[in-house]
Amino acid sequence: MKLFTKLTLFITLSKLAIVVLFVLLLPFLVNTIAYQYNDFYLKEQKKKVLDVIAENGIDTYLQGEENYGGYTMLKEEYISLEPAGQIVLPDTIATLRRVVEEDTLTYRVLSHVFDYGGHRYVLEVGKTTATIGQYNRPLQKMALYVLIGLMVSTILIDLVYTRLLLRPLGIIIKNRLLHRRFPFRDNSPPIRTTTVDFRYLDESLVELMGKVREAFEKEREFTSNASHELMTPIGILQNKMENLMIDGELGEELQQKIMGMMKTLGRLKKIVHSLLLISRIENDQFSKSDSFRMQELVQEVMDELDHRLEEKNLRSGIRITAGVTLQHLNRDLIFQLVYNLVNNAIRYNKPGGSIAVYDQQAPGGLYRLTIADTGIGIPAAEQEAIFNRFKKVVKNENEGYGLGLSIVNTIAQYHGIGVEVVSEEGAGTEFTLVFPLEAT
Amino acid sequence: MKVLIIEDERSMALEMEAFLKRSFYICDLAFTARQGLEKMEESQYDFILLDLGLPDIDGLQLLQAARKNCPDASCIILSARGQLEDRIKGLDLGADDYLPKPFSLLELQSRMQAVARRKFGLREDTVPLGDFRVDLHKRLVFFEETEIELSRKEFDLLSYMLLHKNRPLTRMQLGEHIWGNFADDDYDSNYIDVHIKNIRKKLSAFSSVEWLQTLRSIGYKIKL
Repeated sequence: MKLFTKLTLFITLSKLAIVVLFVLLLPFLVNTIAYQYNDFYLKEQKKKVLDVIAENGIDTYLQGEENYGGYTMLKEEYISLEPAGQIVLPDTIATLRRVVEEDTLTYRVLSHVFDYGGHRYVLEVGKTTATIGQYNRPLQKMALYVLIGLMVSTILIDLVYTRLLLRPLGIIIKNRLLHRRFPFRDNSPPIRTTTVDFRYLDESLVELMGKVREAFEKEREFTSNASHELMTPIGILQNKMENLMIDGELGEELQQKIMGMMKTLGRLKKIVHSLLLISRIENDQFSKSDSFRMQELVQEVMDELDHRLEEKNLRSGIRITAGVTLQHLNRDLIFQLVYNLVNNAIRYNKPGGSIAVYDQQAPGGLYRLTIADTGIGIPAAEQEAIFNRFKKVVKNENEGYGLGLSIVNTIAQYHGIGVEVVSEEGAGTEFTLVFPLEAT
Repeated sequence: MKVLIIEDERSMALEMEAFLKRSFYICDLAFTARQGLEKMEESQYDFILLDLGLPDIDGLQLLQAARKNCPDASCIILSARGQLEDRIKGLDLGADDYLPKPFSLLELQSRMQAVARRKFGLREDTVPLGDFRVDLHKRLVFFEETEIELSRKEFDLLSYMLLHKNRPLTRMQLGEHIWGNFADDDYDSNYIDVHIKNIRKKLSAFSSVEWLQTLRSIGYKIKL
């Protein structure tokens, strides 16, 4: 999930949770406040009554009666005075039921005991609980609306600000990371931001990519230099030997010695060529934009190797689906790949044996090309190591210098081609190339 | 034929000179680009063999100068860099051929001959070979008026040996010419022999092929 999406979700959900909590608490809160305010109101009323009694005398209200009771028409409030005998009570406020003119109603009642003119009275000031809560609903509604309004506006402000805050990160990801092709040659200018963390991230990325590019360029340069430095002396030696060979004055024995030297030099040349090829592939120096017909390519490989089949008296069976065109590959490299495998199939074959090259459209659109031989096979213990550089699969002086399969492996990896090996010692080997989906 | 060899590796330049002299080329040597420029201004050449990796002036720049000063000369680039871009750039700038180092001197000479053949047009290019005639341009072999069918590789092999007649050619040299980079490292193999056997079989049906000699454990030679 993207950071911005996460933040949006977090902000919205957390605010929503607060709203829900508030909505749940609101009736309780409003109710508590209403009761508290009402209790305060009752105390104020009591004070007013006592003031009035002190001013006018209690008889103004009792008018010779034992008690006094006064209430409004709807009986929402009442005030009563009664003689209290000898009880002593502190002021109490309680929710009590009272009968007023045959109606039993629930009141919040403040009871106050006081002495006046040698008598003790109880003053009760009451208010129906129904009127206490009368503003609760509109208050709750109002509070809810205000809250929702506030929440929506803070969410909006938060989102706009986060978006602004995170914009440099988005630019860093877009400019520095997405769709960047190794070796990162194109570099956009530094990102402008006041956030130190982003600036640091950006600078670190640029620095890191610079280092990667530097290392890559160094290796490329080394490959080029090594090629020059090695090939020139090999060339001089080769030319000197060639001139010696042409010299008619040499005896046969010397000519054979020179030829032996040329062979060794040829081996050296081949090894250097192979290492350079591997190095160039690993350095990404080949384009992968060719498309070609597999049938034609295999036929070309077979044409190149015809003489070897003849020499070893091998039969060959080629069965490639006509019209199969592969793309996004380097044709020269794939040629080399197939060539090396077919060449091995011939080299490690037994006289009178056969090789087979066939393809298969595997389910899921994968294209498989198999090169099979009836040769000496690879012992199970050595199958792991066959792609390692300089690992000689078969201990035979004249055969292989271990780089053929390394090249196969390097080319396969470069194109994302899978290589499967099935081999039985003494019976033969089968190499299968599994081409990636984008190649078919 | 006059050849200017511009190559900073002295011993390589000297070997090239020694080899080409045997084929009656007249060679001038330049070990730096500056020397090369001077020589180009002094005289005209049929061939300029140019090493791209010269220390003083960029080889490709020198190639442009060569095109200007010696417009009639054929330029063959010799380069150890061997990268495709160099090759394409060189050929774009008017080089006639490109030979990656290390190269065989035999290969150099056959490239020079091929360039010369291209340059001097479509003239009949038939070379006698014993009782046979070889048309190098149309790539055909005749006995009297009969055309003898050879495979592409067999013809390559025969014409290469004919070009370097009277020289012992090792199997490796022949293999490298025909299969280039794909020449196998399995040099003791006698796959060249298969082709020679086929050539002998096809030609000896018409006349003697005594001129095609086998050099025991070395290779082959056309002796004329």
